[in-house]
Amino acid sequence: MDVSQWIDPDRGLIRGEIFHSQEVYAQELEQVFARSWIFLAHDAMLPQPGDFIQNYIGEDPVLVVRQPDGTVKAFLNQCRHRGMRLCRADTGNARNFMCSFHGWNYGLDGRVINIPHGEEIYNAEDREQFRATEVRLANYKGFIFGTWDTTAPEFEEYLGDFAWYFDAYIDRYEGGLEIVGLHKWVLPANWKFNAEQPTSDMYHGEVSHASAFQVMMPTPVDANSPPPDWAMSQLGQLASPAGFQFVSPYGHGTGWFAGGMPVMNETIYRWQEATKDQVAARLGPQRVTAHGHANIFPNFMMLSNYTFRVTHPRGPNEMEIWAWSMAPVAAPAEVKEAIRLDLLRTFSPAGMFEQDDAVNWEEEQRILRGYMARKVPLIYKQMLGRARYDADGLPGRTVPHVYAEEGARGMYRHYIDIMSGAPWPDLARLKQRREDDERSATAAPAKPDSFAA
Amino acid sequence: MSEQAKVVHLFQRQEHLAPVNVPLQTAYDIEQFLYAEAELLDAWQFHDWLALMAPDVHYWAPVRVNRLAREMDREMYPPGTAAHFDENLQMLGERVNRLHTNMAWSETPPSRTRHLISNVRAHTTEPDNEFDVQSSFHVYRTSSERHQDSVIGRRFDRLRRADSVYGFQIVSRTVVFDMATLLVKNLSLFY
Ligand code: FES
Ligand SMILES: [Fe+2]
Repeated sequence: MDVSQWIDPDRGLIRGEIFHSQEVYAQELEQVFARSWIFLAHDAMLPQPGDFIQNYIGEDPVLVVRQPDGTVKAFLNQCRHRGMRLCRADTGNARNFMCSFHGWNYGLDGRVINIPHGEEIYNAEDREQFRATEVRLANYKGFIFGTWDTTAPEFEEYLGDFAWYFDAYIDRYEGGLEIVGLHKWVLPANWKFNAEQPTSDMYHGEVSHASAFQVMMPTPVDANSPPPDWAMSQLGQLASPAGFQFVSPYGHGTGWFAGGMPVMNETIYRWQEATKDQVAARLGPQRVTAHGHANIFPNFMMLSNYTFRVTHPRGPNEMEIWAWSMAPVAAPAEVKEAIRLDLLRTFSPAGMFEQDDAVNWEEEQRILRGYMARKVPLIYKQMLGRARYDADGLPGRTVPHVYAEEGARGMYRHYIDIMSGAPWPDLARLKQRREDDERSATAAPAKPDSFAA
Repeated sequence: MSEQAKVVHLFQRQEHLAPVNVPLQTAYDIEQFLYAEAELLDAWQFHDWLALMAPDVHYWAPVRVNRLAREMDREMYPPGTAAHFDENLQMLGERVNRLHTNMAWSETPPSRTRHLISNVRAHTTEPDNEFDVQSSFHVYRTSSERHQDSVIGRRFDRLRRADSVYGFQIVSRTVVFDMATLLVKNLSLFY
């Protein structure tokens, strides 16, 4: 399938077919998920040798295991004999993994270490070839990503300029992050809805989440006085939403308010204020606030309140969300507790923000069963033509507004590239050429009417 | 006992497998209270429902995870970690207020729910005006044109006799959902 027939990133027009088609979905598993870097684990999830977690690359289950020597390996969670799932627990500690079908036994590194009656019934073949299918891994500041594709660019190259923004989420404080918990749930919608939102869409907040903002903002001491000043300053961000959006040639994106993401919890607010200078000294002044929401293509999302999640595709009409809560190791206990509670009350399945996103996506998905609904292009034109490079001290391609769809356009530009099936080295060259062209074009003065189609 | 073992203990409440030891009338009163509570939730009488809570109520629903059989005592996330709900009275009040803003899109138009409460077993405690009550629930929800889902699980309540039409108040509730991965789009109501 040539998905470019439905997507026009330069004009900001996308047809709903890409969220609906079973054929597109099958191609995504092959071209997107099997060829991209996918988040698999954080070091803190696997503290001891033998610790494992089960995760997915697309629909393929992957076991991520801490080895006796302290390194991490990952392999397809499938027995090489008849394809049974090797380990059926989400997490735990093991010395080996025994397949419950015929008893093949695998070591922590995925090598077959015992086959019942193996000497009698198999020829003297090299057992190395029975090894569980290994995943190529990269560890970026404790975050472990994996890909099946040995020709994919190195992870750092894949991140590119986004690394600078990623650090604003994961490297604000000495000591990194610890794991607080995990929520898993299923939504009746295409996985790309949860990818393009953190890549791009801060715009939905003031309407989609109006009810949550109303009740979670601190209440005044008495009915006649306004909420406390600090809370008003946070709401003020929403009222005049200045900010930025970054877009990567590899489909990653992030958006943030110029004054930082609004916070509704006083304990968290006070701590962030108190540690501002510390973060600035570590990461520079821009990254105190360049911290809103973000997505590493295809499906690793993060929010400034320390939610980190993968969105596993489950057919064109369903996604499974795995959302980890993390907290800075350096935060005092009461701040960690405030982060934990704030997160579960906002961005978990019972969270007052998350609940409303689910309904939007469900309705979007449902309507795509129609013919006209899939035919009429959807409009992704916010801040079209306003991208510039390395402006305002921000690396890479950005636009000067937090409400923008530059991130989504960039995500779908990369999506067309990778869905074409072109080899990775060709894609890398294509992206470089495109950027060179754009850099020379945007060196000219910006067009006054940026919203023309 | 480790923190996690404590949660599992709470979840299994071994002591509750003991024969029920409250008088028949008390058992009846407690059941009627739980049915009335279910009725309030299904009728969207959330402020009245909130009035059933003790001032120091703790409403908690830990997350669970699929574990190897030999690690079953670590199936529940312990207190202070992952939970679907971890609320005091004020926090519950915010959730209730949100549902009445007319902009809580997850419940606009409002779902129809049916809280089916069963397997109620009550036990005496110290002090003698409080009871440990275990029940099962099946919450069936329909919404929008054709959405439907079911959430099933168990509850462990501490109830206290109260001088009100309902006869009791809820001192604490632990909700244990049967699902590890929630096969529903959200938990926008109460259980
Ligand atoms: S399928 Fe695993 S041992 Fe046969
Ligand atoms: Fe949202």
